[in-house]
Amino acid sequence: MNSIAIDRSSAAARPVPARPRVVGGVSAGETVIEARGVTKTFGDGSVVALEGASFEAKKGEFISLVGPSGCGKSTLLRIISGLIPKTGGSLSVHGREVTEPRSDIGMMFQKATLLEWRTAIENVLLPTELQRRVTADDKRRAAELLHMVGLKDFEFAFPRQLSGGMQQRVALARLLQTGADILLLDEPFGALDEFTRERLNVELMRVVAEVGGTTFFVTHNIQEAIFLADRVMVMTPRPGRLAKIVDVPFERPRDLSIQQSPEFNALVSEVRDVLGGH
Amino acid sequence: MTDLTQTTPSPALRWWNLSAVLGRVGLHLVIFLGILAAWEAAGRFGLFNDYLVPRPSRIATAIGRLYVTQGAIYWHFFVTLFEAVAGFLVAAAVGIGLAVASALNESFRRYVAPYAIVLNVTPALALTPIVIAWFGFGWSSKIALGAIIAFFPIFVNTLTGLMETDADRHEMFRSLGAKNRQLFWKLRLPAALPMIFAGLKIGMTSALVGVIVAEFTQATEGVGVLMNRYSFQLDMASAIATLLSMSLMGLLLFTLMEILDDRIVFWRRDARMAAVGKARARRALSWRTKPAAARKD
Ligand SMILES: Nc1ncnc2c1ncn2[C@@H]1O[C@H](COP(=O)(O)OP(=O)(O)OP(=O)(O)O)[C@@H](O)[C@H]1O
Ligand SMILES: [Mg+2]
Repeated sequence: MNSIAIDRSSAAARPVPARPRVVGGVSAGETVIEARGVTKTFGDGSVVALEGASFEAKKGEFISLVGPSGCGKSTLLRIISGLIPKTGGSLSVHGREVTEPRSDIGMMFQKATLLEWRTAIENVLLPTELQRRVTADDKRRAAELLHMVGLKDFEFAFPRQLSGGMQQRVALARLLQTGADILLLDEPFGALDEFTRERLNVELMRVVAEVGGTTFFVTHNIQEAIFLADRVMVMTPRPGRLAKIVDVPFERPRDLSIQQSPEFNALVSEVRDVLGGH
Repeated sequence: MTDLTQTTPSPALRWWNLSAVLGRVGLHLVIFLGILAAWEAAGRFGLFNDYLVPRPSRIATAIGRLYVTQGAIYWHFFVTLFEAVAGFLVAAAVGIGLAVASALNESFRRYVAPYAIVLNVTPALALTPIVIAWFGFGWSSKIALGAIIAFFPIFVNTLTGLMETDADRHEMFRSLGAKNRQLFWKLRLPAALPMIFAGLKIGMTSALVGVIVAEFTQATEGVGVLMNRYSFQLDMASAIATLLSMSLMGLLLFTLMEILDDRIVFWRRDARMAAVGKARARRALSWRTKPAAARKD
């Protein structure tokens, strides 16, 4: 369609945090999220969706949340994003208590939630458009992000002209366009087939490392959770509880082949044991 | 907005399909002419009462009289068309306005919607004598009745469309810190456009019905008046010619709405969507290849 050289320097002008130094899979950066006893009850308090979750996240860390349906993964993510209020405990991001949606925190959902009357690039520009006037630099940045998620030739395609996987790529580019450095992904590829999901997972790792975002990634799949993450938060239901946090010591970037190693399988068993007790 | 000169021709129009298309049109024509010929023959041989069920050639003569020799139809055609469009526009403005207000404000919705429902269950055409008593014998009573009848489908469709916004996209907007105003203009309204247009299309044809019924009841101008006059004189050929003019008017108005729908709600139709995408790509490309100094935004 077109071949415009993308101006890399425009990306440098944006306040995207630098990639942190990674030591043994665990980030050595500063703490950006601090949760202390985060609790959420629904209704008259009888439905305990989340009970006393405490954890920290360092800059640039990739954290997976795994657990059976109904254990409060989405609830926890929505609390971090500021979409719903917590009923107890404290949660601060970048040292500030989260009380409402913020521009330094971005969220991606299982559905692509694209606007079908906008082209891919217009969808990516939405977050900017909601904040201020869109500039030429913003447009270049959006084109660059589409390039980064592998949609170079689809800037002017409408969502209905894209496959499910491509739509999620647009949604990912839109998430990155927010400039948020806390990225919350709630089963972003859950509705896709296994091949597409695996490929997108690998690309997701690359892309978030490139922008240096701190990532929370919800999944039902134990292998996927371990493969992607520096740490896995294992959650159990009734009431929703953060049962264990498992460190994943593999260097990044990782190759799909690590899934065959004994160390990897030991981690899978460890997580499965925690979940099996419930 | 879009460039029609450069869109690729639809497959049906390519040369290798042309003969197939002509063949299909030809078949329609043969069937249509066959029916006309049978009707004409039946009329000539006295199978129908030729005064009550005039044969095609007499209708054709009547059409010639209305449109060519006397030209009596034009002014009436224009009057009815104007009344219908005016009634429709009033209904669209009030219907969409009230629907937006109801969608944005819950208590407004609670206190206004019941009236709209009462209006809907009232057979609106029964209002005709009252409307004529209020607005007189002139154009305004026709416009008023057309508007009343067109109002409900426009109001209900618009309100339904605006209330239907799906929760996931709503949450996505909220996570991006969207304000209510942005939520309305960038999500709710565009998402409701297909429904709004469905309502507008029904409203357009309803307005025409309302106007013509009002003309039947009491008027001095308009195709409804012509229709009344010819039927009263038992000039059935002219009455049917007038009826065909009403169909033509309906078709004209409906086609206009279809074209608008096609252009504004382009993302529902593959061919239009592809054309719009190409046009936007071309525009962005010309903008990007300009030297940086010449750029405005
Ligand atoms: N709005 C709500 N009102 C009442 N209860 C809710 C609400 N949202 C969630 N819950 C309850 O909170 C619990 C946790 O829900 P949540 O959606 O966080 O689970 P999850 O781990 O994301 O599950 P899944 O893997 O199926 O997405 C569930 O028992 C659910 O019924
Ligand atoms: Mg969930």
